[in-house]
Amino acid sequence: MRNHRARSRYCWMALSLLLAVAWGAAQIVIAAPQLGAPKEDLLALSGEIGRPGGRLVVSLRAEPKTLNPVLSADAPSREVISAMQADLIHINRATQLTEAALAKSVKVSSDGLQYTVTLRQGLRFSDGQPLDADDVLFTFRVYLDESVRSPQRDLLIVGGKPITVHKLDTHTLVFEFAKPYGVGDRVFDGLAILPRHLLEKPYQEGKMEHIGALSTPVDQWAGLGPFRLKEYVAGQRLVLERNPYYWKTDAKGFRLPYLDELVFLFVPSADAQVLRFQSRDTDVISGLGAENFSVLSRQKASYTLADVGPGLEYNFLFFNLNDLTGKAPPELARKQRWFREVKFRQAVSAAVDRDAIVHLVYQGRGAALWGPVTPGNRRWVDTKIAHQPRSLDHARQLLREAGFKWTSGASGDSALLDADGTPVEFSILTSSSNADRTKMSTLIQDDLKQLGMRVQVVPLEFRSLIDRIMQTKEYDACVLGLVSFDADPNSDMNVWLSSGGTHLWNPSQAHPATPWESEIDRLMEEQLSVTSYERRKRLYDRVQEILAAFQPMIFLASPDILVAATSTIGNFHPAVLEPYVLWNVEQLYVRNRAGNGSR
Amino acid sequence: MRFVLRRMAHAAFLLFGVSILTYLFAALAPGDYFDEMRLNPQIAPETVVALRAQYQLDRPLPLRYVRWLNSVMHGDLGYSFSYNSPVGPLLLVRARNTLFLTLTATLLAWGLALPLGVRSAEYLGRLPDSLVSWMTAGLLVLPDLALTLGLLLFAARSGWFPTGGVVSLDFNSLSPINKLRDLVLHMTLPLLALVLTALPLLVRHVRAAMTGVLDAPFLRAARGHGIPRHRLLYRYALPAAANPLISLFGFSIGSLLSGSLLVEVVMSWPGLGPLLVEAILSRDLYVVIGGVLLSTLFLVIGNLIADLLLYWADPRIRAEPVAK
Repeated sequence: MRNHRARSRYCWMALSLLLAVAWGAAQIVIAAPQLGAPKEDLLALSGEIGRPGGRLVVSLRAEPKTLNPVLSADAPSREVISAMQADLIHINRATQLTEAALAKSVKVSSDGLQYTVTLRQGLRFSDGQPLDADDVLFTFRVYLDESVRSPQRDLLIVGGKPITVHKLDTHTLVFEFAKPYGVGDRVFDGLAILPRHLLEKPYQEGKMEHIGALSTPVDQWAGLGPFRLKEYVAGQRLVLERNPYYWKTDAKGFRLPYLDELVFLFVPSADAQVLRFQSRDTDVISGLGAENFSVLSRQKASYTLADVGPGLEYNFLFFNLNDLTGKAPPELARKQRWFREVKFRQAVSAAVDRDAIVHLVYQGRGAALWGPVTPGNRRWVDTKIAHQPRSLDHARQLLREAGFKWTSGASGDSALLDADGTPVEFSILTSSSNADRTKMSTLIQDDLKQLGMRVQVVPLEFRSLIDRIMQTKEYDACVLGLVSFDADPNSDMNVWLSSGGTHLWNPSQAHPATPWESEIDRLMEEQLSVTSYERRKRLYDRVQEILAAFQPMIFLASPDILVAATSTIGNFHPAVLEPYVLWNVEQLYVRNRAGNGSR
Repeated sequence: MRFVLRRMAHAAFLLFGVSILTYLFAALAPGDYFDEMRLNPQIAPETVVALRAQYQLDRPLPLRYVRWLNSVMHGDLGYSFSYNSPVGPLLLVRARNTLFLTLTATLLAWGLALPLGVRSAEYLGRLPDSLVSWMTAGLLVLPDLALTLGLLLFAARSGWFPTGGVVSLDFNSLSPINKLRDLVLHMTLPLLALVLTALPLLVRHVRAAMTGVLDAPFLRAARGHGIPRHRLLYRYALPAAANPLISLFGFSIGSLLSGSLLVEVVMSWPGLGPLLVEAILSRDLYVVIGGVLLSTLFLVIGNLIADLLLYWADPRIRAEPVAK
């Protein structure tokens, strides 16, 4: 009996030992690919050394709609995705220049048609799977697939043809453009490299648009960005955690990011965002309004408030210059005769008090504009464009030269009449949901009243407004704003080309309606293929000068980028390009109480 | 049973009518979800046209309505353009938060309104009635938005209450007692805003209904028989005054989903409010229609419950011939 017990005990011991050995062997097998993997080509960043750990809570005005970079079109999704994904070549938001990211090196052929990209060795997605050229090939196949309908697809069409990609080896790829492209490297910014091992199957099954819902299980989503998905609570928050495989280090070789968690809290109104920031629920607010910025500046609290200066948003007034021959009602056709008169537009521009707009709409936190490029776009702004101060005398002179005259009304006010004796009256459409633009329109109404023009401001729901200006074209004038996605002029090609869909005053023209639009077309096409910055700058300066001379858009003002963060956030260097604060999220860190960030 | 079936048939007919009207109004408004993309210089007009075609916005309206109706039958309630997902689950997950808040608020509001209204009617024209009247008048003239913003400002200045959300970020690491405390603290202000908004109307209705009953001869007789005050008020007077209050209760149920939208947006409560406001602004057509349909469903259910309660409470209704 005793022998039987002893034998049984030995059996159990032997079995346990066997299991332990098997477990150890399994661990070695699992670890084997990592041991055999090539050395990681990590990218070391310069800058302040931070302190690992901690959590950053950022408020978002709306919930992100998707984690899928191929389909994202809204700002909150882009902000979240930028923290979870990475691109081959990236635009540094501080310098506004491109720099190699997942690409170790980029060689451009002498004719500018080929970009040979070599990937960094040994990089891994946030789920530990390795990155290679097949992931990049797959990514571009998806972005370029017409059936996927990626909003970024149009960026990859150069000279009317899609960019082609082929693989040279596991880490080298060649991108070919149909015609020389001056800034081919900027195309890659924001094009997140997708995990083929997770997405190829759903893509082949035609389910790409169902991929990347916020409720995606964390083990079914991966990226190459500094953070990875941890938790999503519908309507409340999205929590990201540190990606242990991230490919950037600080100057001391510490693998970034510093933060353990990045939390996006959904706070649906601007005022609530400020209140939650004041009560320390959140650490960062991006894109503050001028009024809320002033409220926070008046409080002596431990906030860091930053006025980064004018961003890339430009607001403008434009008139309906569409060719509506035979379609326009007689009243609009008559008004279009005024609008087409360059001196009429110049007179309106001379009468608009841009400084008043900056002071009254943006509380002084903005810049008056005389061209489409804001002072925030340092490399492309044309400083030669004259900043004409407001002059009613000059405006009256221009109107007189164009055949307009004045008559005294019954109330004693003088009314402006055209050559036929018709009073100059028109309406300005503006978005009812944008209080700033409604204020601008009211100020313009007051400015133009002093020239004898009767202007009505018509606030419309935003999509109805777009329908009016892009579809029915039943409007007189409109105050609108555009935000350039990139500092480079190519991002606004469709605004300036007469054939462009966003050539707002007269979109999608078959042939340029005026000689100066034809000249702009030529200059924009030419700068597209030139690689020398100086030459491109000269060409784009000329575009800006033509716009300033012919005033198809009367540029008004650009708001400053205003951000706030708790003063314990280190490496806080907001930029004018999106994402304003989180562009260097891998380097952001939480200081210790003594304010010391070093380890 | 015939009464219930008849009411349910009415409800189904009403829902169908509301769905057609909502669909028509939402779809015929100028502009659509993809219009904003037309202002993006990086997206070609052809891409926008292709996206509209992909979501079948280029199809005739009746065809789109039938397809949407089909998706309603499958519980999807259509497809959200912005979330790229069926509307049903989007609404459902947020409707839970909304119902949690509004159900609690409704129970609290009725729980306060009944004794206040009864007391006010009992002391008609005297100090307690005047106090209640002044209080309800004050709350009635205060706009909902001002009240909600005031409460939010109070929370931010005092630091006593959280300024948004259902729970704290560290909720999972708290002890059960602290979890409960955290939840109660987060709910206090949205609840207060909802209760204070609903209370004056309810109190005034209870008071009016009770005033009409308290002078009734049967109550005077009951009082003369020495029935205790409390029993007299709540056992005999209140049931007699219940008919208008039951109708009002049905309306309270009907507004469970739609009554808190403003409070949810201002106080960052993750219910239907923020989702629907965003959907309206971005013209996410099917989310808007789904939200309206869900609210109508609650209204219909509320009315049905009220009808059933009236049927149960009032013998006169039971005595009426059902099928005419």
